[in-house]
Amino acid sequence: MQAIMDAFAAILAFMELGGFLMPWIAALTFVMWTLAFERIWYFKGALKGDVQKSLDQWESRPERKSWYAHQIRQGMVSKMSDKIYQNMDLIAALVAICPLMGLLGTVTGMIEVFSVLANTGGGDAKQMAGGVSKATIPTMAGMVAALSGVFVNIYLERLAQSENRLFASHLTMDH
Amino acid sequence: MKMKFVKSCMAVIAAGLLSSSFAMAQEEKAASLDQLLDMVKKSQVAETAEFRQREAEFARDKANQANVLNQAKATRQAEENRSDTLEKAFADQELLVNQKRAQLNERLGSMKELFGHLTSTAGDLRVTTQNSLVSAQIPNRGDFLSELIEKMNSNTRLPSIAEIERLWYEVQRELVESGRVVKFNAEVIKTNGEAHEQEVVRVGVWNLISDGKYLRYIPDTGKIEELSRQPDSALLKTARDLQAASSGYVAFSIDPTGPSGGTLLAALVNKATLVEQFHQGQTVGYVITVVGIVGLLIALWKSLVIFSINRGVSVQLKSNKPNINNPLGRVLKVAEDNPNVDTETLELKLEEAVLKERPRIESGLNVIKIIAAIAPLIGLLGTVTGMIQTFQAITMFGAGDPKNMADGISAALVTTVQGLCVAIPMVILHTILNGRAKRIIHVLDEQSTGIIAENAERTHK
Repeated sequence: MQAIMDAFAAILAFMELGGFLMPWIAALTFVMWTLAFERIWYFKGALKGDVQKSLDQWESRPERKSWYAHQIRQGMVSKMSDKIYQNMDLIAALVAICPLMGLLGTVTGMIEVFSVLANTGGGDAKQMAGGVSKATIPTMAGMVAALSGVFVNIYLERLAQSENRLFASHLTMDH
Repeated sequence: MKMKFVKSCMAVIAAGLLSSSFAMAQEEKAASLDQLLDMVKKSQVAETAEFRQREAEFARDKANQANVLNQAKATRQAEENRSDTLEKAFADQELLVNQKRAQLNERLGSMKELFGHLTSTAGDLRVTTQNSLVSAQIPNRGDFLSELIEKMNSNTRLPSIAEIERLWYEVQRELVESGRVVKFNAEVIKTNGEAHEQEVVRVGVWNLISDGKYLRYIPDTGKIEELSRQPDSALLKTARDLQAASSGYVAFSIDPTGPSGGTLLAALVNKATLVEQFHQGQTVGYVITVVGIVGLLIALWKSLVIFSINRGVSVQLKSNKPNINNPLGRVLKVAEDNPNVDTETLELKLEEAVLKERPRIESGLNVIKIIAAIAPLIGLLGTVTGMIQTFQAITMFGAGDPKNMADGISAALVTTVQGLCVAIPMVILHTILNGRAKRIIHVLDEQSTGIIAENAERTHK
């Protein structure tokens, strides 16, 4: 319990040091990972059911060769790919935004440093250090969040692609 | 021409003669030269008489002068004698003074060292009390210390025991007061320049608060001033709580920075507000703002359009009857209107119908994407122009004053912030809207034929 409290306090202190952008980066990362886990959860669970339902519907057709059957098959593949790729764009966009948020932190921190410089004439290194920590910590946090997101995004992208292809290949034209 | 010149010369000479003769007449009042000669002779006679008279007077004084000379000589002799005796007395007394001084030093002994310490302590304390917030409550402590230091530095006076004990008292009072939270009444200069007598709370030697606001003590004038810009309301609440409290513990935000506290608070006064920072971005900043507002309006309009289309399509998916108030309905209507054409013609007709719908759904989305891409670029442009300004300032004024440069640099960075602040929401908005639009187009493009095929099969059965 004590260890958890200590870790929590350390995180709070870190957030405090990073300035007002840290909660935003944290929220962004949280949303990004929630969406990513939701996708993984879907691929490993509910997707199988959806695929089976569509397959059953396809298999129960009397014929699978006519123009109608082709169009219906294409519609099914498109619907399934809509389901598979749901929120994937949003995850990619959030990954792209994380470094931008970090950059925003860098610049606001630098503004603070320079306004201290403008007020005190560079005499007060301690106050400038506050701005520097506000400049560097969000940058780092944004980078870490983006990097973690890049990996999970690539993984999800490949998973979605293979699932999509797998489904399309399940809908065979004839038996 | 020549005549004219001669004439003018004559005129000048005549004028000169006239003026000189006029001057003579003023002094002597002589009518003619003969008369003048006569007058000179007469005055000579008069002067001779005067000289004779003066000569007689000098002769008369001569005896007298000798007398006076003798008297002066006697006085000089007397004064010389007196000077000799005084010099002798001075030499005697100087010996005595040296003797006494030696005696004083001998008797002072270790006390002399003590006085040295007292002087330095009093000097330190004078500086401390001058800057200390305690002086806002107890003014004029420095007067006593100055007097004491003067006394200890002089040769002829010695501080009394009472005064030395008072120094001890002052040192301890500063010490005790620095650990105290006290209320007292004092005159506070408000931000509008008016002075009010009101209750002030002093927290040690660190902060002064009154009325839930932080104050500043100005040592030079001894006045208490309200800070023109106050910290966050959460911090001000702690100040109010502290003033309202009568006993026990109260959470209070203290600013112990600087020699006497309050340096951070003083710096706060100089900090630019958000609005001021916004205007630091100058022209480039305003351009970014306009671009951002345009992007936001387009996104708002697009989201209204796409969500209404989306709703229409969702309703259409559930019903069998094509409704022409939505794109899917219009595509299905094409199929319904041509029940007997062959599949290839139908496919082409559907494709055409879908192509007609696409622009309405996708229009504007690219503008949002472009804004998301160019907003940081405009911000970068502002940064670079700001840096150019800064370097121009350095060329003109030199790099000696960091304030000169820092202002320009912070202004340059503001545009980057503005660019990012526009770009980040634009990226998110574009992603969301583009996702929705893509889904609608998928429905039209890939699924509409499927739906038509299903409908056709159902009706054939």
